[in-house]
Amino acid sequence: MTSTVDRSPTSLGGKYLTFFLAGEEYGVEILRVQEIISMMPVTRVPRTPSYIRGVINLRGKVIPIMDLREKFGMPPATEPEQVMIVVQVAGVQIGVVADKVSEVASIAAADIDPTPDFGAEIHTEFLLGLGKSNGRLRLLLDIERVLSTDEVIAIASLPGLTQSD
Amino acid sequence: MIPVELNDAAFIVVQLEPAEHEDIKALRDTLRHFAVFDATATTQVRAHAQQAATFLNLILLAAPGDPAVLLTQASEAIDAAIKACEAASINEPRITQTDLIAIAHDPGDADALSADMAAPASANRTRRQTPKRTPTIVAAVTATTVTAIVVHPTAVDGGMVPDDADLSLLGDFIAESRDSMAGAEAALLELEANPEDIEAINTVFRAFHTVKGTAAFMGLDKLADFAHHAESLLSRVRDRELPYTQAVANLSLRSNDVLGEFLEAVETSVQSHEPITLPSDYALLMHDLLNVDAVLAGVETRVAAAPAPSATVADTVAPIAATAAIDAAPRAQPTRAAAKNDSDLSVRVRTDRLDRLIDMVGELVIAQSMIAADPAVAASGQHDLVKKVSQAGKIMRELQDLSMSMRMVPMKSTFQKLTRLVRDVALKAGKVVELVTDGEETELDRNMVDAIADPLVHMVRNAVDHGVEGPEDRMRAGKPRAGRVKLAAFQQGGSVIVELRDDGRGLNRDRILAKALEKGLVSPNHTLTDSEINALIFAPGFSTAETVTDISGRGVGMDVVRRNIESIRGRIDIQSVLGQGTVFQIRLPLTLAVTDGMLVRVAEERYIVPLTSISLSFRPEPDMLSTIPPNGEVVMLRGEVLPVLRLHQMFNIQNAVTNPCEAILMIVGDGEHRVALLVDQLLGQQQVVAKALGDGVGEIPGISGGAILSDGRVGLIIDVARMTSLARTGDARPRALSFAA
Repeated sequence: MTSTVDRSPTSLGGKYLTFFLAGEEYGVEILRVQEIISMMPVTRVPRTPSYIRGVINLRGKVIPIMDLREKFGMPPATEPEQVMIVVQVAGVQIGVVADKVSEVASIAAADIDPTPDFGAEIHTEFLLGLGKSNGRLRLLLDIERVLSTDEVIAIASLPGLTQSD
Repeated sequence: MIPVELNDAAFIVVQLEPAEHEDIKALRDTLRHFAVFDATATTQVRAHAQQAATFLNLILLAAPGDPAVLLTQASEAIDAAIKACEAASINEPRITQTDLIAIAHDPGDADALSADMAAPASANRTRRQTPKRTPTIVAAVTATTVTAIVVHPTAVDGGMVPDDADLSLLGDFIAESRDSMAGAEAALLELEANPEDIEAINTVFRAFHTVKGTAAFMGLDKLADFAHHAESLLSRVRDRELPYTQAVANLSLRSNDVLGEFLEAVETSVQSHEPITLPSDYALLMHDLLNVDAVLAGVETRVAAAPAPSATVADTVAPIAATAAIDAAPRAQPTRAAAKNDSDLSVRVRTDRLDRLIDMVGELVIAQSMIAADPAVAASGQHDLVKKVSQAGKIMRELQDLSMSMRMVPMKSTFQKLTRLVRDVALKAGKVVELVTDGEETELDRNMVDAIADPLVHMVRNAVDHGVEGPEDRMRAGKPRAGRVKLAAFQQGGSVIVELRDDGRGLNRDRILAKALEKGLVSPNHTLTDSEINALIFAPGFSTAETVTDISGRGVGMDVVRRNIESIRGRIDIQSVLGQGTVFQIRLPLTLAVTDGMLVRVAEERYIVPLTSISLSFRPEPDMLSTIPPNGEVVMLRGEVLPVLRLHQMFNIQNAVTNPCEAILMIVGDGEHRVALLVDQLLGQQQVVAKALGDGVGEIPGISGGAILSDGRVGLIIDVARMTSLARTGDARPRALSFAA
């Protein structure tokens, strides 16, 4: 309760869909998630940034698919990814590729720590905070910010995060 | 009550110098407009106003006679108009407007040409006003001194909705205008952040312009008039006469609000059969718009009701509240009656639902064909099963045709609206025009009918207002007295053509070119072909009309026309012969939803090239190809040299066939913009449903959209026109993700 996350800490508590990406567990607010679909062929769209993998047909609707690994500057996946999580942000549907989904976790506000400052090279503003539950650490994504920025964001290899697993 | 225009005219005329031609012209136009359009004034009042306008016109024409005397005569005519007004409304409480004028005429104030000097004397009069009156009191106070006072009676009565107004059109108009207003508001707010955004100004301008035009057409003169003034302000911003300051922003936002309220009032009036209640801010704002320079100059020209502000507020609000109360009671019945009229043999369905239905049916067809192609069915050897599956397929395709046809509507209602428009515009412009329509039964996708409705209104209005000459001019030119405007729709191949033909004066290319040079739209050392000059009329802000009327002539319109038409993948062409007339031809695809395309393969990727843009496809022989250093490639086909465009290079696709002699060249594009597009293989013709790529991806140069292919995957549709222009400019940068957040 004494947490000092600048983004109104009490409102951060709630349900998160968690998923694995490059060995880390991430979370997105469940209210942003529209559905989870299994991986399907993606049509590449030319002249788009590298992190836009392409578009898919979601029951007659064409929606873009974002590659979070590319977005976060991570190396490509070694094993086939399993799912795409369709989120809705500002009225726009977009799919993000994940290795696999984990669970829907209730994370209390008290269990969410503010993101530590890693200096200028690592963009922590794309994280809502770090969720701790069941002895696991989850990186809670501010998905709206992640999707609405044009840049590739280096949040990969945050030092000192992997040991807590 | 004394109309706002007269009040202002009386106020302005005494300040005019004979040499101030611009201002005299503006005043003349205001008076003329009032004389012609103000339905609330009596004939006598209008005659006086017209007379005043005539005097002013004589000054402008440098007629014999002393301009100063003419000015005085104009002033007297306005005076007479006001007196006539007072006589007509003797029972109404009124402001002694003559007092104001008397002061201005007072020899003691003779040198006081500015309002600043005239004001202090009348300030007392303002204070004497009793709070019983409805007028909004508009006074002017600066920090140091009272500078100007203008007193306005608030006309609560905005006139009636004309009896012959088509209520369904009116409903459409209100709904459309609301959309425009919402768009305008968004653009205005956008402008707050970025005042240099010309596109946003254009958006607002167009919104006001559209409301104005349609309101004038519906006979809602007060609304049209108001929109006209709101638009004038923005027109000056657009032409960079005025900077977009906070004050302009405020005025525009208020204008937008008042227009919105006005629309509501019109709607209420239709239901209640009561006169339109003018929005509370109407009179004030109208005043500000008419005196926009003073307002913007930072002179606080008005402060509401200096002596008893609370009383005035109550006064202004009270009558409106009363009207509202009266409205409430009788409204129930007419509404029910209207509902009965509306009941028809059809059901109104929201288009987005319909689109969704079409999407789902499309999906169903794909799902079915995947089942049919599945080895478990196709190779099962179970003939019964195969028969059932193919039977289901037939039903689904029929279902698809049916769902597509739901979006098709005949052009009839659009043409009908235009018939009425021609009549009204011709009447106002003093012309004799007959409209001939042909092919009303031609069916078009509903979205397209909607999208071309506005452009057609602009074009028809232009044809009547500018195209067709007045009866005398026509007689002189040896043409029949009545102008002829022909509107036709017909199918030609895979397109629907809507044609507007007039036998008027035709486009004057010399004047167009001169105007374009003046506006800096073309550089003086370029020679343009006739069709290029014709096309200049589509440039934003272009207008050769000499007078700006409430019907047309502001140069908005034709750019909107082209943009709207292009947004539905249509094309507009002009042919014109000076003195003989003009033909506008709009070519539209049959339906927005379905595109006939050629499916092509490049390495692993598949693309759809619209069939209409392909002239032919072939595998070239080595001797047909040449290279132009450093990296240009051309192909020679039947004596014609065409540049080769490698799709795999444009789109950066790996593992594509690079030797053209082992691949396919497709000649695409039209006219001078033809290129040979290199693809690996043609996969076959397919009808596809074009869809936007999703807001998250934004616009991709060279790609017009996506379509669901028969295997359920997305295929990208190639935008040939854009592709060929990309090839010329060589712009191949990747684009950032554009987000609608």
